[in-house]
Amino acid sequence: MKKIRYTITAFLLVLILLPGCEDFLNTELQGNLTQETFPTTAGDALLANNAVYASLREWNYNSGGYPILDIMSDDARKGSNTNDQVANLGPYNNFTITTTQDGLDRWWTNLYQGIKRANVVINIVSTIDMDTTLRNRYVAEARFLRGLFYFDLVRAWGEVPVITSENPPVHVPKSPVDDVYSLIRSDLNYAVTHLPLRSEYQGNDIGRATKGAAKSLLAKVYLFDHDFVNAGKYALEVINSDEYGLEPVFTDANGVNGEHGTESVFEVGALEVSGGGGPGNQYANTQGVRGTPNRGWGFNRPSLDLRNSFESGDPRLKGTIIDLGDTIDGIKILGDGPTPDELRDSQGNLIEVECYSRKVWMPGTSTIEEWGYNRRIIRYADVLLMAAEALNENDKPGQALIYLNKVRERARQGNTQILPDITETNKDSLRDIILEERRHELAMEGQRFWDLVRTGKAQDVLGPLGYTSKYETLPIPQNEIDISQGSLVQNPNWQ
Amino acid sequence: MNSNKGSGYLRIFSVILIMLLMAPVVFAQQRQITGKVTDAADGSSLPGVNVFIKGTTRGVITDLSGNYTIPVNPGDDTLAFSYVGYQPQAVLIDDKTEINIQLKVEAEAINEVVVIGYGTVKKSDLSGSVSSLKSADITKITSQNPVQSLSGKVAGIHVTSSSGAPGASPVVRIRGVGTFNNSSPIYVVDGVILDDISFLNSEDIASVEVLKDASATAIYGSRGANGVIIVTTKSGQAGTAKPQFSFDAEYSIQQVERKIDLLNGRQFATIYNEIQPGRFNNVDLVPNTNWQDLIFHTAPLQNYQFSVSGATKVNHYYVGIGYYGQEGIIDKSLYQRLSLRFNNTYNLTDHITFGNNITIVPFKQRNAPNVTYAAYRAQPVFTPYNQDGSYAEVENVGNPLADLHYSHNFNKGVRGVGNIYGQAVIFKILTLKSSFGVDANMERPLNFTPAFHVSPQQENVLSDLSKGLNQRFSWLWENTVTLQKTFDQHSINAVAGYTMQRYSSEIINLPGENLIRDQSQFWYVSPSNIYDPSNGVNTIQDIFDGVDNNLYYSMISYLFRANYTYKQRYILTFTYRRDGSSKFASGNRYGDFPSGAIAWNVSREPFMDNLEFISNLKIRASYGLIGNEKIQYLERYNQVDQSLLAVFGINESANSAATFGRSGNPGLHWENTKQADVGVEIGALKNKLTGEFDYYHRKTNDILIALQIPAILGNGGDKKSFNAAQVLNSGFEYKVEWRDRIGDFNYSVGLVGSTVHNEVLAIGGSSGSDSVLIGGFLGNGIPVTQSRVGLPIGAFYGYETNGIFQSQPELDSYPHLSNAGVGDLRFVNTNHDKVLDGKDRTYIGSPIPDVIFGLNITGEYKGFDLALDFQGQYGNKIFNAKEVVRPDPYNFEAHVFDRWTGPGTSTTEPRPSFGGYNYIPSDRFIQDGSYLRLRTFVLGYSLPASLLAKMPIDRLRIYLKGTNLYTLTQFTGYSPDIASSDVISNGIDSGTYPVTRLYSIGLNISF
Repeated sequence: MKKIRYTITAFLLVLILLPGCEDFLNTELQGNLTQETFPTTAGDALLANNAVYASLREWNYNSGGYPILDIMSDDARKGSNTNDQVANLGPYNNFTITTTQDGLDRWWTNLYQGIKRANVVINIVSTIDMDTTLRNRYVAEARFLRGLFYFDLVRAWGEVPVITSENPPVHVPKSPVDDVYSLIRSDLNYAVTHLPLRSEYQGNDIGRATKGAAKSLLAKVYLFDHDFVNAGKYALEVINSDEYGLEPVFTDANGVNGEHGTESVFEVGALEVSGGGGPGNQYANTQGVRGTPNRGWGFNRPSLDLRNSFESGDPRLKGTIIDLGDTIDGIKILGDGPTPDELRDSQGNLIEVECYSRKVWMPGTSTIEEWGYNRRIIRYADVLLMAAEALNENDKPGQALIYLNKVRERARQGNTQILPDITETNKDSLRDIILEERRHELAMEGQRFWDLVRTGKAQDVLGPLGYTSKYETLPIPQNEIDISQGSLVQNPNWQ
Repeated sequence: MNSNKGSGYLRIFSVILIMLLMAPVVFAQQRQITGKVTDAADGSSLPGVNVFIKGTTRGVITDLSGNYTIPVNPGDDTLAFSYVGYQPQAVLIDDKTEINIQLKVEAEAINEVVVIGYGTVKKSDLSGSVSSLKSADITKITSQNPVQSLSGKVAGIHVTSSSGAPGASPVVRIRGVGTFNNSSPIYVVDGVILDDISFLNSEDIASVEVLKDASATAIYGSRGANGVIIVTTKSGQAGTAKPQFSFDAEYSIQQVERKIDLLNGRQFATIYNEIQPGRFNNVDLVPNTNWQDLIFHTAPLQNYQFSVSGATKVNHYYVGIGYYGQEGIIDKSLYQRLSLRFNNTYNLTDHITFGNNITIVPFKQRNAPNVTYAAYRAQPVFTPYNQDGSYAEVENVGNPLADLHYSHNFNKGVRGVGNIYGQAVIFKILTLKSSFGVDANMERPLNFTPAFHVSPQQENVLSDLSKGLNQRFSWLWENTVTLQKTFDQHSINAVAGYTMQRYSSEIINLPGENLIRDQSQFWYVSPSNIYDPSNGVNTIQDIFDGVDNNLYYSMISYLFRANYTYKQRYILTFTYRRDGSSKFASGNRYGDFPSGAIAWNVSREPFMDNLEFISNLKIRASYGLIGNEKIQYLERYNQVDQSLLAVFGINESANSAATFGRSGNPGLHWENTKQADVGVEIGALKNKLTGEFDYYHRKTNDILIALQIPAILGNGGDKKSFNAAQVLNSGFEYKVEWRDRIGDFNYSVGLVGSTVHNEVLAIGGSSGSDSVLIGGFLGNGIPVTQSRVGLPIGAFYGYETNGIFQSQPELDSYPHLSNAGVGDLRFVNTNHDKVLDGKDRTYIGSPIPDVIFGLNITGEYKGFDLALDFQGQYGNKIFNAKEVVRPDPYNFEAHVFDRWTGPGTSTTEPRPSFGGYNYIPSDRFIQDGSYLRLRTFVLGYSLPASLLAKMPIDRLRIYLKGTNLYTLTQFTGYSPDIASSDVISNGIDSGTYPVTRLYSIGLNISF
């Protein structure tokens, strides 16, 4: 008996003393792939490609969340009620921003994240064994989007690090502006070659990058680089492709009726679903009517200067500005209680009137519909005006006027008493007229500030608002400078 | 992988099988020993004394006359006697048939047995820093979570309950804030290692030990870095052959301790008119709503407990049932819990024992929405109801009463924590033990909001439902061999073993929209409630099935400890633990954690015999390394983000998208803490005066911390984890107690406390990141804490203020922000340059207290017992964030009424505004969080034995109790207890559920 007990105890002892197994400590990531195993299939390639578009719908893609480009321009003021985001946005309004200003880091981060997503497709999907045409199209879409992201980076910050690998080194110095433009052009050229025409896409692929979008963007890139010959060339190719036209009703150009319509060259699709990370886009909600109806926060308030700049009778004024008391789509606009209807300075002069941007209006009475707003990145009216500008610079004013007047004709909405055709052919005068037309056509769409900077007019026009030449580029976010431990140097005008 | 899993289970199964198949008791020739045990001082007989054969589980109890009879087997050599309050004795049996013993009284402190990891030790033999609490102290505090009772009783521990919501967990810190990730201690309940003890019924606890220094915690090596709290639950008391029944009942009323001073309707309207003239025509006629009065009410709390326990020669048992029910002082909040406990030990033979400690806890919780913040901000000029009785619109914050009415948030579940073990004593000095513990938790959270409309800002267009199913399961298998040998003057106690542990979990969430009806019987998700995003509602996006990232890992550990005592005076301890965790990539998995301690019982030295008044003096010191790996298991993987969407198509639809997501760091490894401790224990005047003092110094290195990486890497603002920070915590702990009697009046006074110096020594550095960790983000995205070298973790950061600009010339002469005006706060130009900008922000306070203390007074006189507990802390600051975030016109705190209205009218309170310049984070919003609180007051009466002798009742006590009766503090919020488990967002008041005051009446019966 004792023997049995002792042997069993001994067995117990041995069992206890056996060490555990190493494999016990191997756990796999649950429910998610790791970067080492993705993308590897044709299905993965589509997912990776779609992911680059997802960046466009993030709130931070829109200049860091708030429409700071319009607020910096003479088109708009901060908006919302008096105290909302005063510390964060006020300095954009009166040109007192610092290197730690709110929003710049979010914009910078979003663009580089988009670039990484594009690099995953460009570098890895290009090696996947699948249908070559489709694969080239995916890569071309990603290169188009990468071009779009770098275009924002170079316009906002000038010299920026150029990242073309999905696993870049931790510290990368800035590249000269010419190198950035060179990458953009090579990306867009590839895109022009390998992207289909808009009419060649299936119905459920509408919204993806097209040959026309790549050419339009290339035209704009050349415009900013002051290469008017190429700018004109590409703009005219788009115009002559007969893929696009102008919406008969001005407000449809940005509105729900014109979604993926004839005027849309490149557009960000969105569903009416609220919540970041979902299929909606908060871009319009940020600027939506504040108060009653509750459409949004009410930022980006059209300025008195913009209001007064419209030609008499120009319907685009009401197509750009929502005033208190207006009725749109059967909905009466009453505005926000705490926001003063009229803001006057200490001498009693009117400086601001409570109003909101009409460009982001979606029919409805709550914030949800605004989440479904499709932001137009490039529209055909812009292409026409770019063509006009380039042709003027190339000493072809007659041709320039053709395209310029097409825009005015649409704006007229059939009323021959207003907005007469332009006949001016003097280069300098026509240049100013075209710039002014861009303002009236594309107000509140994030174009004005950079149009003034690239044409050298920023100091004259915005000087009275506080603009100085250092604002030609924005400061690189200070905490990015700090983290880079010396490899990233602040823009000289901001040091 | 699968085969190893199989062999692991096979091993467990065979161990259990073997334990069950063990041979029965061996019969042999027996004889008996009899005798009598008396008190050495007066010769009186001592009943209930434990008489047992040393090295076995066989024992008897002396009867009422002090007599005993015990059977003896050949091979038994020592008979031992032990009795609470007396010195134990051991006598060699030899051929004796009668052994009489006189026991001498012993002061409790020295012979107390203290539970340390994987064993117990006498307090006199203890070389580490360990504090003990017994059952009576633990049940004194009425709380759902027993850790609350440690506050103010145990030196070095800091327990903060920042939310008084029923079911809310307190934040627990031992010896400062150790690390940037999880700074909480671990709990070991009957051998099962857990992260919280919220399920535990205080009445089931026999004792709690808090292990604080490296030597004590090293045996838990990998997890001990922030301290270990060991809980031992009750088992049947030996010597009580008949079952002991016990019934406890307590009924309490809770109320909010204080309300926040806000402006009333008239004051608010006056201020509003100054900011926007003309808003109110007649400030005397505006409504006045006190929103706080509307949301708070008194609420009951009930606690009932019934247990039966006993011990026979073969079986010790404890069965307990408890009910805890707490309604919240805000509607729609409550917590109910039923605890069922079964503790058994079964002596199969003299040498073999089995046991189990199992508890099953079903619970139900309801959570209220954050209406305290809404009530704080809501303008008093709005009324809660319209003329027709419907909820009125309350601009900007929503109607808090409507919030409560339309909120339905539940959490129901069951938790089971249990442990079964088998133990065998072989060769008399070795004990083999194998134990298997399980922690299983299943919860079903549910949230339902009906469709409603109060105002355009407060409406819900479609009803929504969210249902979850969360399960967590962990098992722990521990095998140890313990050696206990005493020879001559030497005593050795050593333990060695290995353990395996696995955590797994799953969280499932199902959303639904637009339910057909609002009643609870319809709260189920069905295909008609799940909407594809293209239909305009986003429910498919919210479907979730995944693991809980904090609870998916495995560990293997090897442990060893040896304790050597010479002449009962000189003690040497060496501990070593090696842990491997699956959270790290192979190559970095294991960490080694050694530690050592020495102690000297000076009072046992011969030269101390002359110093009569010193009854106990011990000096001890320890040093060691302990580890921590409390990060999410996925930190080392480079993940793919599969949750993205792209919208394409004429008929817009959402398409799936996936790409590279968050970068992981496969180079992560163990975080470790080096801790040194020096301590002195003193007892004087026959231990009437006792004291314990420690100095501790803990430096945590290679802290696992998520840091920002350059945005050009494309990580989109996601952080990446590194071992890249270093933190120091040091300070003193003290416990002084005076225990005496004057005639029949017994009393004691104890002071317990600690100091904490917390300092960040390094952040980031070569990991390519910044050297400042920014945290404490308020609702508007503005951060208020910066953890940087030289400052405490989570230090507050903002502008310093020194007065108000009284005039335009003053404004012009001083550097100021561009939007400053006359009547606004003046910020200090701390760097003395020509400009007032972001660089002038500076350190404005720490959320970590410098000193924590508790004062405990007890008294007992002829059946009456009285206990008074004070508690407090000093040196911490609170950031009043609820006052700062102001995008809209909200109500103000009372101090705003003393505003600046002209030159010289105020130097502290600026001109009123709804937001903007004066609400930039500055020391205007830093308040002193120091406080002194009367935590408990208990007055009880136990019926005298003479009265009870006629009834079948052993003990009957009734008592009155008050908890959180009064708090002395300068803080203007509900309670200065503001803490967060997020160490870089600590001490920030963003609107909390107030901690309540309780008035209770209770009854204890045992029979």
